[in-house]
Amino acid sequence: MISFDFQYERPESIEEAVQAFQRADSAGLEPIYYSGGTEIISMARLNLLRTGAVIDIKGIPECNVMAVRQDRFVIGSAITLTNVVEANLYPLLSETSRNVADFTNRNKITIGGNLCGKFYYREALLPFLLADSQVVLAGAGGLRQVPIDLVMNGEPRLEKGELLVQIISEARYLALPFITVKKTKQEKIDYPIVRVTGLRAAEGIRMAFSGVSEAAFRSRELEEVLNDTALPVQERIEVAIRRWPYPILNDILSSAAYRTFVLRNTLTDAMEALERRRL
Amino acid sequence: MTIGEAVPRIESKDKVTGFARYANDTQSPGLLHGWLVLSPVSHAQILSIDISQALAVRGVQAVITGQYFPVLTGGVLADRPPLAVNKVRYFGEPIAVVVAETEHIAKRAAELVRAEYRPLAYVSSPSQALKPDSALVHEDLGSYRKYGDVYPEPGTNVGNRVKIRKGDMRSGWAAGEFVVEGAYAFNTSDHGAMEPRCAIVEAMPSGLVEVRTSTQDPYNIKRLFQRFFQVDQSKVAVKVPFVGGGFGGKGSCQLEYIAYLASTACGGRPVKLNNIRETDLVGSPCHIGLEAKVKLAATREGKLTAGEITFLFDNGGYTDEGALVTQAAAVDCTGPYRIDNVWCDALSVYTNHPYATAFRGFGHTEAMFCVERTMDLLAKKLRMDPMELRYLNAIKAGDTSPTQAPFDSSNLGDLTKCIDKLKSLIRWDEGQRIVLDGHKVRAIGLACIWKTSGSAVDTGSGATITFNHDGTPNLSIGSVEIGQGNRTVMAQILAERMNMPVRLVHVKMDVDTQITPEHWKTVASSSTTMVGRAVLDAAEDVIAQLKRNAAIVLGRLPETLEVGHGKVYANDDPSVSLEIGAIASGYMYPDGSASGEPVIGRGRYRVHRQSRLDPETGRGIPGLQWTVGAEAVEVEFDTRECTYRIVKAASVIDAGKVINEGTARGQVAGGMNMGLSFASREAFLFDAKGAVLNPQLRSYKMIRFGENPIYLVDFVETPFLEGPYGARGIGEHGTIGMPAALANALSVAAEVELNELPLTPELIWRNREARG
Repeated sequence: MISFDFQYERPESIEEAVQAFQRADSAGLEPIYYSGGTEIISMARLNLLRTGAVIDIKGIPECNVMAVRQDRFVIGSAITLTNVVEANLYPLLSETSRNVADFTNRNKITIGGNLCGKFYYREALLPFLLADSQVVLAGAGGLRQVPIDLVMNGEPRLEKGELLVQIISEARYLALPFITVKKTKQEKIDYPIVRVTGLRAAEGIRMAFSGVSEAAFRSRELEEVLNDTALPVQERIEVAIRRWPYPILNDILSSAAYRTFVLRNTLTDAMEALERRRL
Repeated sequence: MTIGEAVPRIESKDKVTGFARYANDTQSPGLLHGWLVLSPVSHAQILSIDISQALAVRGVQAVITGQYFPVLTGGVLADRPPLAVNKVRYFGEPIAVVVAETEHIAKRAAELVRAEYRPLAYVSSPSQALKPDSALVHEDLGSYRKYGDVYPEPGTNVGNRVKIRKGDMRSGWAAGEFVVEGAYAFNTSDHGAMEPRCAIVEAMPSGLVEVRTSTQDPYNIKRLFQRFFQVDQSKVAVKVPFVGGGFGGKGSCQLEYIAYLASTACGGRPVKLNNIRETDLVGSPCHIGLEAKVKLAATREGKLTAGEITFLFDNGGYTDEGALVTQAAAVDCTGPYRIDNVWCDALSVYTNHPYATAFRGFGHTEAMFCVERTMDLLAKKLRMDPMELRYLNAIKAGDTSPTQAPFDSSNLGDLTKCIDKLKSLIRWDEGQRIVLDGHKVRAIGLACIWKTSGSAVDTGSGATITFNHDGTPNLSIGSVEIGQGNRTVMAQILAERMNMPVRLVHVKMDVDTQITPEHWKTVASSSTTMVGRAVLDAAEDVIAQLKRNAAIVLGRLPETLEVGHGKVYANDDPSVSLEIGAIASGYMYPDGSASGEPVIGRGRYRVHRQSRLDPETGRGIPGLQWTVGAEAVEVEFDTRECTYRIVKAASVIDAGKVINEGTARGQVAGGMNMGLSFASREAFLFDAKGAVLNPQLRSYKMIRFGENPIYLVDFVETPFLEGPYGARGIGEHGTIGMPAALANALSVAAEVELNELPLTPELIWRNREARG
């Protein structure tokens, strides 16, 4: 049960949503955009999150798009993970989404919520980072389209009140050889202690990670290391771990030492699989 | 014949359609809702609790703290106030309850209660608690009232100490050519029953106190309310609808006390306290933790000669039923083996962890983990097949228990038969460790188990039978239908004795202590054996009464009559008969005149022949019978990643007599699931100051459907002469061996000794790294 009161609005257009946010914000309600609500509900009932207004984006047509059009894969932020898995337009995204939370929750969790929420796992983000996708954001100044790398890699850097409307990816990435591996403490259904997603592009291997650190990210530096064929794979992996751009997590899911052990194994398997998969 | 049949549970349709009512399904006009305020610190002095802001919230009726009625409660040792007084002793301890017109208002107001604490040193484990310089969890331990055999040690953190002294240790060690020793540990955890605890209490102006609650122990609430609140037992009416699982966690009283005090603070209006999951996990009593040492000696042939066992139970902030769990672990401390020389000290130790109560297995799940791991260490040292070692030492009629209770072929099941059956069930002869492709190995671990029925000494059960006009019986019994299928089993026992179809027996589902005949409590795998005997006794009573009524009408002697198929008939000529419906309330002749009396059956069963344990040696008879069994777990282990999959879990239990094949299998498989979940992943994690880091199901993980292995269940039937149709208790036994069997399997698979729980891949990895 959520003990605090809040307003609920369900705008029908992007403009209405942005205006509703601004109205609520100037009234001091600390509004948040709402889509699947799994995170809002589970945090609010424990008072880990408070808000005076939620703005439900599920009625906005642009947020409910999922299609491949003119060599572009467009997905709206209100599309649920279950829909992503079933439509299977971007196999790496489907496979990565398939074991985020459980089925009941995937029926609710949306792409937008997974990318913009407070939990830092953001596993559905990784395939978009690998595909150099673009995001469509709506704010007070209207719409803007920017590379996802700029506003999402590591952590969301949206402007206040900005709404993630869509993510657009070039269709040529959709069919590339890929790998996605999730390792948990023990359970099938849990947050990752290591999530590795990889794509084999023409210029080399791309990789993005979640669960290892407090950030879901892709690092060009790490990719350079991992593609450096002058070194044996195992050595490349050791260098990559040494140069890991964020602190390796030490929490109730796993110690940093065990996470590193799992990361090493997972990277080894991922590299082997991707090197085997020719274009 | 219905005994042995897998009769479907009679309440299932109401459950699967959502019609079955649990405590929280009760709504009534005037019902108020309480919300508990929990301590965010593990050990601290309470400097102040400011309730003024909460009281000011519209719709709030009362806010009470421990000062409202500072009384100490407890099962055998009264050490716990219903709401904390002066200090808190665990993270999650209730310090106040806010009562309001709705649950929503109560929760909102509860957030406005402000408490100030002065932190005290955190007592983090039993071994730390026993150090001379440890902080004391209870400074006034010496002044606490006792209500049973409990031996607290004032000035220390020892809440209870149980001693077992059997034989002569010196000659035991002298005879042992091989000695092994192991140290074991696991944190406190939880039961995780599907239904969180809920209690509704109404303290009416007439003095009647009505308690509607999810409990395993309804009748004792009357005694406790008299003891601690001075309410006459005659004025306490406890009503128990379906209970959604308890596993020991609902065997002690907590929310009932608080809801009662809250009701008195609100002019007697009914107050409901319905735990949210987070409160149920840490605020209410949990599963005990343990640190233990086991030392065993054996001859070169593998014959056990001595056992020295030390159990330091982590009982958390209060003893509750944990004081008795400690005793139960001690009385069966050796496992189901003959050891003539035994030394055991079992301590209930106070720490600043959530307080612990009974858990499925009641001390045996915990004790067997340690003993059965040590048996594997011994087998390894002896270079002996671990199955063979267990077979060789298996307890038998003629042996005695660690408390020197004598065994015969009735009060003890047949362990060697169980081992034999298990051997083929898990294909032991194909090998204990098999290397598969890649990094995978398959390994099997074993554990033998036993547990005595272990009821209180002064206890019994009752049953009443009335009749409908169509001649079908209504049965009323005091055990709680908690998901174990007790109502169905009781219907079968009555149907069998009355020689009639089970579907025509009507069993009252709920318990109402004002009218339902008492059963001790629904714990200790005892309902089938104890209540079953009362049902049989009641059946004898109604059969005699039916015969008397029929004898007058038929002009025959009662002893020449039989009851069956809905009739009373002459044993030499079944065509001479009367329908039960025609004589169940006496007989009316065609002219309207009448004979006979209404038939109302009563059945009784009293526990005899148990005895209290000697405080210095433990000598005594702790239970009526011992159920034994042999269990195994097969794992597929990844030697590179230290991850594993539980492939199979198997149990062969000596059930005495299986009354219901379906529910018996369900109990054993469900028990195994619970044991495996506990052993593989369940434990509270604490920060450096004793706050629980995983007080919710998001982070406190239990086995999900789909993660379960294949469950293999088989039975041996060595009748317990006192049990109904020979039946023994089997409710807990599936659980008991699983932690040891899993640890033994993984130790073999990973080739490293794993003596801690839960058995996470990281734990295995850490042990392997430490070994190098």
